[in-house]
Amino acid sequence: MGLSIHTWGGRGHQSENRTTIYPDGSVSCELGSQDLGTGTRTVIAIVAAETLGLPVEGITVKIGDSKYPKSGGSGGSTTVGGVSASTRRASVDALSLLFQKVAPALGADPANLEAVGGRIQVKGDPGKSLTWKQACAKLGVTPVVATGKCIGGRDELTNQGVGGVQMAEVTVDVETGVVKVDKIVAVQDMGLVIDMTTAESQITGAITMGISYALFELKIMDEHLGRMMNPNMEFYKLAGIGDIPPIDVYIVTGSKQDDRGVIGLGEPPVISPGAAIANAVTNAIGVRVPSLPLTPDRILAALEKKGGLS
Amino acid sequence: MRAFEYASPTTKEQAAALLGDKWDDIGILAGGTDLLSLMKDDISKPRRLVDIKGIKEMQGIRHAPATGLRIGALVTLQELLEHAAVKKEYPALAQAATGVASMQLRNAGTVGGDLCQRPRCWYFRNGNGLLAQDSSGKSLVVDGENKYHAILGNSGPAYFVNPSSLAPALIALGARIKVYGPKGSREVALEQFFTTPQKDGEREYLLKPNEIITEITVPAASGVRSATYAVHEREALDWPLAAASVALKMSGTKITSARVVLGQVAPIPWAAAEADKLLAGKVVSEQVAKDAGAAAVTGARALSQNAYKIQLAKVAVKRAILQASEGRA
Repeated sequence: MGLSIHTWGGRGHQSENRTTIYPDGSVSCELGSQDLGTGTRTVIAIVAAETLGLPVEGITVKIGDSKYPKSGGSGGSTTVGGVSASTRRASVDALSLLFQKVAPALGADPANLEAVGGRIQVKGDPGKSLTWKQACAKLGVTPVVATGKCIGGRDELTNQGVGGVQMAEVTVDVETGVVKVDKIVAVQDMGLVIDMTTAESQITGAITMGISYALFELKIMDEHLGRMMNPNMEFYKLAGIGDIPPIDVYIVTGSKQDDRGVIGLGEPPVISPGAAIANAVTNAIGVRVPSLPLTPDRILAALEKKGGLS
Repeated sequence: MRAFEYASPTTKEQAAALLGDKWDDIGILAGGTDLLSLMKDDISKPRRLVDIKGIKEMQGIRHAPATGLRIGALVTLQELLEHAAVKKEYPALAQAATGVASMQLRNAGTVGGDLCQRPRCWYFRNGNGLLAQDSSGKSLVVDGENKYHAILGNSGPAYFVNPSSLAPALIALGARIKVYGPKGSREVALEQFFTTPQKDGEREYLLKPNEIITEITVPAASGVRSATYAVHEREALDWPLAAASVALKMSGTKITSARVVLGQVAPIPWAAAEADKLLAGKVVSEQVAKDAGAAAVTGARALSQNAYKIQLAKVAVKRAILQASEGRA
């Protein structure tokens, strides 16, 4: 068994979101952001949908083009905090513009309307309501457009400083030096969780790649040729499905976390796997293997240096 | 990949007539799992490919308890490991085929192709030649990156390891190989088929450029217990770091004769005669298996980064012997 703890910043970067509500009821969010596979699109759609009282599929997220408003690069685990804050503000402002156009039809003060379950209604009086489509039809031929920003540094919708603990259980074949990870448990906080499945998946993915760098990944350079000898998926080794054990993920939730705001989760969970697995190997064989990856040659060399087992 | 002609003969006679007398001028395509990657890497630049998959007489497995096994060169690794008689009578062979990690490779790759695939040496695959020498003829391997290179038969100039998954098992089981060329068919013991090239341009087997493997025969295996053990550092698609196949002729618990052959440790599948000698007449035990492992690496010499492979080879032999004696699948 081995354990590792980690922390990370994760404050959102500067971001600008242009949200448009169209007379036909469609909604677009435009940001010059990008999805590296970490769920940026999903997060933007969820924040906008929740704010507008719509299903997620009611939002068209447009990213990945520099013609959209500026949003920071993805690095340092800053994307989710940034795009969530700008999306939230843009959606709130676009909705309040829509309320102004719709209020007369409902005979209500715009400040007294709410968007719930695909309807615009008078607060606390579902009887006085319009469907989202009917409400948007009141826009005539002119969409409403609002821009929301995350200012980064002091923005109050995002925050920094996450913490996590990971524990690894391993089996070491002391005759061959082959290490097998049997189980990983990961505990993580990240402030307000936008989507639990995406957050858990980010952690599972980080641990998968963590096992790869802990056990296999090695860039092999020939110093005479100055060439990389393994620039391929054959000898630059990555973990495959059989190398990944059960991974249990526990995410800290509750109002105290929600009040902190949104904090990035991109990198934090990939910090610990190497240390947790290396500590577990040390615990198993009684000697430290001082560098990653923990390949059979290194395990056997460490055991030999120690003078065998026990 | 460069452009090439494509021919698909349906008889071995047609195939041989389409081949030439220069290596790499004409390529033989079966499963293509190695050839196509060599062509994509521009290591092999054939002007013509002869696709032999349509040759019916080179397909299929036949088994008779008295005479043994006949494996067509075009049999896939998956067909081989699923064959009932192979699983029952020749576990070393079934286990060796199972060890080829990836359903795709097992479904496409053929037995003949497994025996003829080129070494995985990264100097060779990076275009530095099979013997991996610099312009002055000095080995790039010896002072270079050699963690996966040879520990036996490595006095030079070849330092690569033979990559065949099946050859150690087939040799341990006494297989013979039949090849067809312009002069007709000839047959050799598989052990004699593999050679260590001494100069650039030589191949690692006795096949001539205009010959094809047509079939492999394995003697009857009644009274023989066999097993293959390969050390893999990961479950995902990977080459073994070391492997061993053993075939033990048993009389009760006593070994009357043994064949131990190592894979992934030398430029040829390495027949470990010292281990065979040690095992003859012994009752299998953990200690005997361990001693045979040590005997199997007699003469091993580590390069700068691969001393660990000597240990892995010993362990592979030990575990293969124990596995064979217990009859574990």
